Amino acid sequence: MSDNKPIITSRRSLLQAAGAGFGNLALAGLLGSVAKQVSAAEAKAVNPLAPKTPPLPVKAKRIIFLFMEGAMSTVDTFEYKPELEKRNGKSGPGGGTITPSKFKFKQYGHSGAWFSELLPNIATHADELCWLRGLYTDTPAHPQAVVQLHTGSANASLTRPSWGSWLLYGLGTENQDLPGYVTINPPIAFGGAANYGSAFLPAYYQGTAITDQGFMPNIEAATTKDLQREQIALIQDLNHNLAESPDAPEAVDGVIKSYELAFRMQDTVPALLDISKEPQLVQDAYGVKPGLDGSFARQCLMARRLSEAGVRFVEIRQPGWDHHTNLHNGLIEQSRRVDQATSALLTDLARRGLLEDTLVLFGSEFGRLPTSQGADGRDHNITGYSMFLAGAGVKKGFSYGATDELGMSAVDRRMHINDLHATLLALMGINHEQLTYRYAGRNFRLTNVAGVIQKQIFA
Amino acid sequence: MHQRLSALLVALVVPTAFASDQAAFFEKNIRPVLAQRCYECHSSKTVASGGLQLDSRDTLLQGGKSGPAVVPGKPNDSLLVKRVSSDDLQIRMPKGSSEPLPANQIAELRAWIEQGAFFPQEPESAPPTPVAKNSGVYPRPATPEQLVYFESKVRPIFVNHCYNCHSDAFKEAGGLRVDVGISIFAGGNDGPVIVPGHPEKSLLIQKVKETDPKKRMPQESKEPLAAEDIATLETWIKDGAAWPDETEKLPPTPARLVENYKKLKAHHWAWQPLTNPPVPPVANAAWSKADIDRFVLANLEAQKLAPVKDADPVTLIRRLSYDLTGLPPAPTAVKAFQKNHSQQAYAQLVDQLLATPQFGERWGRHWLDVARYAESSGPSRNIPYPNAWRYRDYVIDAVNRDVPFNRFLQEQIAGDLLPAATPAEHDRLTVATGFLALGPKDVNQRFKARFKMDNVDDQIDTVTRSTMALTVSCARCHDHKFDPIPTRDYYSLASIFSSTDDAVGLGSKMGGASLQYYEPRELAYLSTASQAPEIPKDRVAQLKAETEAAKKAVDALPKNEGGAPLSAEEKKRQAAIRQRYLSLKEDLQLITDLGERGYGIHSAREGVVTDTTVRIRGVEERHGPVAPRAVLSLFSLPHTPQIPENHSGRLELAQWITDPDNPLTTRVYVNRIWEHLFGTGIVSTVDNFGSTGDQPSNPALLDYLARDFIRNGWSTKKLVREIVQTRAYRLSSDIQPEYVDIDPADKLIWRHAPRRMETEEIRDSILASSGQLDLSHPHGSPSMALRMIEIRDDGPVVQSILAAADRSRYRSIYLPLLRGETPRELAAFDPVAQTLVTGRREETTVPSQALFMLNSPFVGNQALLLADELLAEKSLSDTQRIRRAYERVVGHDPTPREAQRIKQFLAKYAADWADTHPNPSKLVPVSAVLADAARTDITAGIVRSDSLTQDDEVEDGKTDQSRYPRLKPNSSSQAAWAAFIQALYGSAEFQLIR
Repeated sequence: MSDNKPIITSRRSLLQAAGAGFGNLALAGLLGSVAKQVSAAEAKAVNPLAPKTPPLPVKAKRIIFLFMEGAMSTVDTFEYKPELEKRNGKSGPGGGTITPSKFKFKQYGHSGAWFSELLPNIATHADELCWLRGLYTDTPAHPQAVVQLHTGSANASLTRPSWGSWLLYGLGTENQDLPGYVTINPPIAFGGAANYGSAFLPAYYQGTAITDQGFMPNIEAATTKDLQREQIALIQDLNHNLAESPDAPEAVDGVIKSYELAFRMQDTVPALLDISKEPQLVQDAYGVKPGLDGSFARQCLMARRLSEAGVRFVEIRQPGWDHHTNLHNGLIEQSRRVDQATSALLTDLARRGLLEDTLVLFGSEFGRLPTSQGADGRDHNITGYSMFLAGAGVKKGFSYGATDELGMSAVDRRMHINDLHATLLALMGINHEQLTYRYAGRNFRLTNVAGVIQKQIFA
Repeated sequence: MHQRLSALLVALVVPTAFASDQAAFFEKNIRPVLAQRCYECHSSKTVASGGLQLDSRDTLLQGGKSGPAVVPGKPNDSLLVKRVSSDDLQIRMPKGSSEPLPANQIAELRAWIEQGAFFPQEPESAPPTPVAKNSGVYPRPATPEQLVYFESKVRPIFVNHCYNCHSDAFKEAGGLRVDVGISIFAGGNDGPVIVPGHPEKSLLIQKVKETDPKKRMPQESKEPLAAEDIATLETWIKDGAAWPDETEKLPPTPARLVENYKKLKAHHWAWQPLTNPPVPPVANAAWSKADIDRFVLANLEAQKLAPVKDADPVTLIRRLSYDLTGLPPAPTAVKAFQKNHSQQAYAQLVDQLLATPQFGERWGRHWLDVARYAESSGPSRNIPYPNAWRYRDYVIDAVNRDVPFNRFLQEQIAGDLLPAATPAEHDRLTVATGFLALGPKDVNQRFKARFKMDNVDDQIDTVTRSTMALTVSCARCHDHKFDPIPTRDYYSLASIFSSTDDAVGLGSKMGGASLQYYEPRELAYLSTASQAPEIPKDRVAQLKAETEAAKKAVDALPKNEGGAPLSAEEKKRQAAIRQRYLSLKEDLQLITDLGERGYGIHSAREGVVTDTTVRIRGVEERHGPVAPRAVLSLFSLPHTPQIPENHSGRLELAQWITDPDNPLTTRVYVNRIWEHLFGTGIVSTVDNFGSTGDQPSNPALLDYLARDFIRNGWSTKKLVREIVQTRAYRLSSDIQPEYVDIDPADKLIWRHAPRRMETEEIRDSILASSGQLDLSHPHGSPSMALRMIEIRDDGPVVQSILAAADRSRYRSIYLPLLRGETPRELAAFDPVAQTLVTGRREETTVPSQALFMLNSPFVGNQALLLADELLAEKSLSDTQRIRRAYERVVGHDPTPREAQRIKQFLAKYAADWADTHPNPSKLVPVSAVLADAARTDITAGIVRSDSLTQDDEVEDGKTDQSRYPRLKPNSSSQAAWAAFIQALYGSAEFQLIR
């Protein structure tokens, strides 16, 4: 048996602690008369989402993950490999024909990072980015790789908690009026809800799914605020009557608290997701517009608003990068959807000082081959690909690890998905080996039995 | 392949007079085809569909309803040949198969009939299939020199030219891998690729020498393999194709574990034989005479605790009704029991509830949790199991008929191997094995061997954890760290399950859309399939014509490789044309498909019986020693069944699990029953009885219950009856503050622990209270209309399924339950995860539950419907209405204080509502919702296929709740009453059962 101590107490002891009862005070909080009298300690005892102080130094308080689902071709976007040009048309390693990118590359900033003409806006942030260029993963198919990216394990038959859930479990939430883990436009295939589920962690920690239109089920009040306040007051009175009875179930207190929270969330969440309230200038900077072409821009803007409000983990998604065919036009179209919005997000976060404690991660479940597939395509590559980070806790204008001269395999300072997770957790102040949860007779963690923290990228 | 076929035909032209040659030809070429493609419907051991059996010469000549199947010497006159060669999908055999038999197989059938249709007696044990025989060439003998040559010359060719399509890190194109010995010598989809000693016969050489660049390997390279490399490969094969023996030694179990295993085997409580504990003496003998109570009381008295007072009758009947049926008691029943709650009246009530069909729905649901039941493959590419509901119904029926639990388990693990007196019974037993088949499956697992072993792992985990609460799956990669389950034991079970075939209807593929994952051959069929009505020919013809027309439209689309990007409208237009063709093509492919027409059964059946190897560290490609089929070595029973050579061992495993001497099975099951009635098991970790699980809080009671259960013929109902009659069950939930410190979790049962309703109970109760619940058992499930085609989370299929769930008024167990697509009505209150054995539901309290109660159209509408009904009864006073609402929703009367508070609420709410709603709009009439719900066809409106390709984009997923009309009150009093009733639904009083 492991000696690792879970960072929070077990669910059972939480429920036992909940038996102490502080319902009247919670109601008072709701109705605003004796507000804030609930002592912080008491609230923490019962609330599994209360913010926790992590054991390691905190470099980043929250994460925004920009997920390029389907595997963006890095050799066509930001992995410049002149050797491809030299060996154009020759057989590649493992078979296939070496095919250089048709897009022009250029260096940017003091760091001299290369970008293709597909990403002119992100390129202007060259000196703020921290590259991970030696990534590799285990399974060359989307479902397993996407699930592994999100849960640490590719085993589809034993779904693990998603990384956002682990973060909430370890850190709690900053803003109690908001869900702590939001996924906008989450994957619809490739594991679907497993990518933001809490699996065997309690449901407190699961991700809240929101569409790219900012829709969240049941958040819109069914009636006016005043009428609903009357109704909730009635519910809470009934709950208090029950709480006073000699056979009161312990769970009553939790129910009382849940209504209090729900009432506040109804105000805060829709307001946050309503990007039409942003100045036109800001909306234009992101490229906000209706329809699929504006989807990622809308998500970027929602992500900024959520992060600003203290949401611990926000994921947004641009699907459609699986270019086995139609590589050329596909890349043009996809890049147009993400380039301006991503750039605007980085600028906006920096301008508001949010990059100080917010970490941005951009990337796919794996990469694509430097050899061609058919007339206009590239096949999957799990042996070497890249992502970039920006913001809290990481070096700027820095590049870590590398693939070989063809961009085929990670050869230098290689980094497995488990290493990436270990490193991200460490930036958030958690030692991945200590963040464990006991289930089905063993201790589980996000990084399974692996994971090396790559401190070299820390600022 | 062509060369092989022509060689074969040449051989056939010269008929041989020797029966032994004919027999060899038959065994090699004919019997496998008959067995694999025909016997499922046409054999004496399965269904003699159409009266036809193809497993003996006599029955072949005799034929079925349509006449003789074979006329010896005359293939053209033989119905068998006519039916397999037909272009008409309706009559073509094998039925339900999208593709006809391969031409070579038809040619061989013709040749065989031509020669007189020689049909030898079936050999005692099935002959190994040719592929299996050929794959036996690995590991290979090799000299050190040969191996050096291989490593220095040959392997680099594979690495540099073949790995991108045929290795671990990339894919298994054509089913072939060249990076592992066992794989390359097993060959790919086209059979073996290397014939040692014969480069000219080796497909590998043929492929690299191929002159047509389209067919040549390496396929993605413009240049062919260099001549010297080809020569190297030829030399290597000619020289015997040396390959290092990659079989690995199994690392020995660490000494520390060996020691620990020994100790645990001897001492860990769970795998010691059942004891026969005497009923203990108690000080307060007057408290109860029941044995179970004596065990409970003795435990309490030992801690100087005493049980609290009994529950009042109103609380008790509510508790009992929910625990046994998952539904609230009828208000009249509550009144009656309040008047007479004698021991006798209670006993009668218990018997009544046990006899209702709702008992099976409630307790069947408990088993479905454990069986990780769901109607789709989840989580990678989500493919529906349209016939899964048959297993659901099997479980409900078995619970209602109180099928003895040992038999129940045997049916689910090995039902296909149990004797069946009638075809209907055979069907029932086949359906039962859905327990093994309906797990999550990663159909996009591109490596077939991993797909197989992942499914085996799911079956091992499900079987061992559900029945024995053992975490055997931990031993897939290493010896179990905490329990005496060495890796070798895991793979002995794996040998049993890998000798079993999944007949779920799915194969793994590397990508693929539409019907590419569906394999009708990998399905079992109901015996009634042979009476499936004919599909009218003109319908098929019409569909064919439409499909062809749609194809022409697709072909006429402009090609756009490398051109300018298309406009959004143009993309949409083109997508619609492609989708129409795809959809028609699917219709045509499936029009005569028996699975599509509802005759399929997702089940398990015997496969090729072979012992598999231990995989080192669980890695599929790292083979260790063979692990012969066997049960666990954790404990030994007086009668451990021996597994015969030609059995998978499933039947024997089932017998071992259900042996009365098996110390785990009965303990685990009675503990599950206890948990469902008391909220916590005697062993709180209901799915883990291993050394990391909890200790029993009352070991003597656990063994008493297990013995008692066996004595009573493994009857679930008898045990439930006995337990709910105890005084311990009937305690109130009163809290003794001084006890809380001693036993905070109420492990000793000094009170009755309250519980939160399960999410199904919440939905069912709301519908019951509003008068909307339909207690009948619907035929099937909305999912039965689906096809085995990937569904997308935001696609039309899922939207239609969720809408069907919104509309349903049946009990929640009958809602469509696709993995990852929980109905909106069940999502808020910790629904079961459906991927793993779950003996215990979570009980979290989160704001999304409050939001569901406050804002969901479902809860709002039901509240309004009940309000409407109460207000319609003009003779009632408001006080009476409040009381009626209480009765219906929480099962008791309001206190005077509550009634007062509610009256205040109603008055103020009505006034405020009127202020903000000066002109109450014409509401959607309540009757509209009722009419919608009254649609009897549960599959109405279901979209059968997304007809989307992976790249098709869908906008605004999941927002479409428009089909779910939200009713609006049309008067202030209706609004106020509905708000009050909704508040009752939202109250803890409603959700919590004391």
